[in-house]
Amino acid sequence: MKRTAVWNSIWNWFWLVLGILYFMLPLLSTLIFSLQKRRNEISLAAYQSAFADPEFLHTFSFSLELAVLTIIFAILLIVPTAFWVHLYLPRLRPVMELLTLLPFVIPAIILVFGIIGIYSRPPLLLTVNKATTTGLLVAGYIVLSLPYLYRSVDLGLRAMDVRNLTEAAQSLGASWPRILFRIILPNLRTALLSGALLTLAIVVGEVTLATFLGLPAFGPYLFLVGQHLAYEPAALSLVSFGLTWAAMGIISLLTSGVTGRQAQIGGGH
Amino acid sequence: MAFLELNGISKRFSADFVAVEHFDMKVEKGEFISFLGPSGCGKTTTLRMIAGFEFPTTGSIWLDGKDITTRPPNQRHLGMVFQSYALFPNMTVADNIGFGLKVANKPKNEIDVRVDEMLDLIHMADKRRSYPYQLSGGQQQRVALARALAIHPQVLLLDEPLSALDAKIRLELRSEIRRIQQMLGITTIFVTHDQEEALSISDRTVVMSAGRIEQAGTPFQIYNFPETEFVAQFVGTLNTLNAEVVDPAGGILRLEGQNIETSQARDGLSKNERVMIAIRPERISFTADGKKPNVITCTIKNITFLGSIVRIQAKVGSALFNMDTFNNPFLELPKIGDVAEVTFSREAVLVLDRRADQQTSSNA
Repeated sequence: MKRTAVWNSIWNWFWLVLGILYFMLPLLSTLIFSLQKRRNEISLAAYQSAFADPEFLHTFSFSLELAVLTIIFAILLIVPTAFWVHLYLPRLRPVMELLTLLPFVIPAIILVFGIIGIYSRPPLLLTVNKATTTGLLVAGYIVLSLPYLYRSVDLGLRAMDVRNLTEAAQSLGASWPRILFRIILPNLRTALLSGALLTLAIVVGEVTLATFLGLPAFGPYLFLVGQHLAYEPAALSLVSFGLTWAAMGIISLLTSGVTGRQAQIGGGH
Repeated sequence: MAFLELNGISKRFSADFVAVEHFDMKVEKGEFISFLGPSGCGKTTTLRMIAGFEFPTTGSIWLDGKDITTRPPNQRHLGMVFQSYALFPNMTVADNIGFGLKVANKPKNEIDVRVDEMLDLIHMADKRRSYPYQLSGGQQQRVALARALAIHPQVLLLDEPLSALDAKIRLELRSEIRRIQQMLGITTIFVTHDQEEALSISDRTVVMSAGRIEQAGTPFQIYNFPETEFVAQFVGTLNTLNAEVVDPAGGILRLEGQNIETSQARDGLSKNERVMIAIRPERISFTADGKKPNVITCTIKNITFLGSIVRIQAKVGSALFNMDTFNNPFLELPKIGDVAEVTFSREAVLVLDRRADQQTSSNA
């Protein structure tokens, strides 16, 4: 009995270490490589060089802004849709799942040429200035984020007893906007947070849409640097990785006060 | 006009599924009505139509003299309590209770006063700042009740509010609901599939089956004078037996070759007709006096102790029936296989609406 427990413990540790190595080794290799810009010397030269380029911060902050816009508009689109489907059209759930999985099947290159094909000629000429093109890029990002955000929201709603909460609020006199903003959204924060974090990561690293729409996002910048320099892209990858995680941490911290007290619906007796 | 009236309401969900059919009911102000029936009988659908979550296919609903048939649920001013509590997980107990008042744009001090009143009413003043997940099921349901009552609803609707709770809490909360209902004098509709719950708590009980009202009446009427076989079978424990009419005018029937009498007059019965009769187990007792009416000879087949009650199963001819007797340490019981004489009053023999089929049955 005791021997089995020891073996179980060793086995658990083995898988944990293997998992950590799987994720950490590429990062560690990138880190070591990024520190070897100067021959026979460990230095931060690649980082200094990367930071010295004003394009880095410019493109990174632009991508972050796009990510925030994407998250806001995606939530405004997805939450009411998923809520309505859950409440009144449950038979459409498989259709919604299929629709939201399409970005996995249709490559981004098809999406962007579709966008350009439709919006670069009258009557919907939207690629002529930066503002409208940015709008198109955000719309494209919303499509790319659908599989992650819709799934998170869908799972959150499934865990929530949406019907009874909605009907309880209705019986107390609440209108639809109040139900959505005071009952549904606050109880979806954990689901929205995880969906938002994934969306943030996708938007910050996305290359295809931004490149073909000609906007100065971080993904194309990183791609461009990688074609001309050796050590800087590794340094930039790690920095963007760290910054993305920092952004995720801030969002997580901001919502932890609420998510920490998420309810157990229908708790014990 | 009654305070709440349901006039011939029906609910058809599809061409071949009718959930509720021609439901008529009048509820007076302050009454406590229970809808009782098995799953799928339409009791919850009827409640949901009153609440406004479903709209009737035909018929109308009137509340306090106003037609509310198509009024949306958030404009009906009814309080609703759900089986799953449905407390808002992101709000404290106080916020949950005050939600409806906040929706109605009541001033903050008025909301605070009302929330305190409600917390006192449910004896949970110390849980004001707790979140639902920090409460037990019974406490959550108390809060749900307080939340529904806080808005001074015209009618309180309770959809199987005790079903998710364990037996002890269920009993406590049942008394609590009745106490609060009587104290506030609020008109209440209570949906349950538990006959004991319905009979113990209500002024009137509506027994439903397959979308229709089987019988409506006081718990006493429902239990003692079931009008249909369904009510007889569903409410309480009942022996249902096949008998043959010997003398329709005199109320004499033949049960497995032995004559018995009933005081219940049933129009339209004819001699030699087969009918179904019902006798409650607690109305049957042992007797040594063969001169009494309704004495039948039977064989003891089984004896079961149920705590305060001892249930004895006996056989007369090919029919099995149960009799209940109160348990006590000095109780003298027959042995299995003994032949015994049992008796029951003429009033205890109920002739049911539906004609008996060929098979004699005993419902335990």
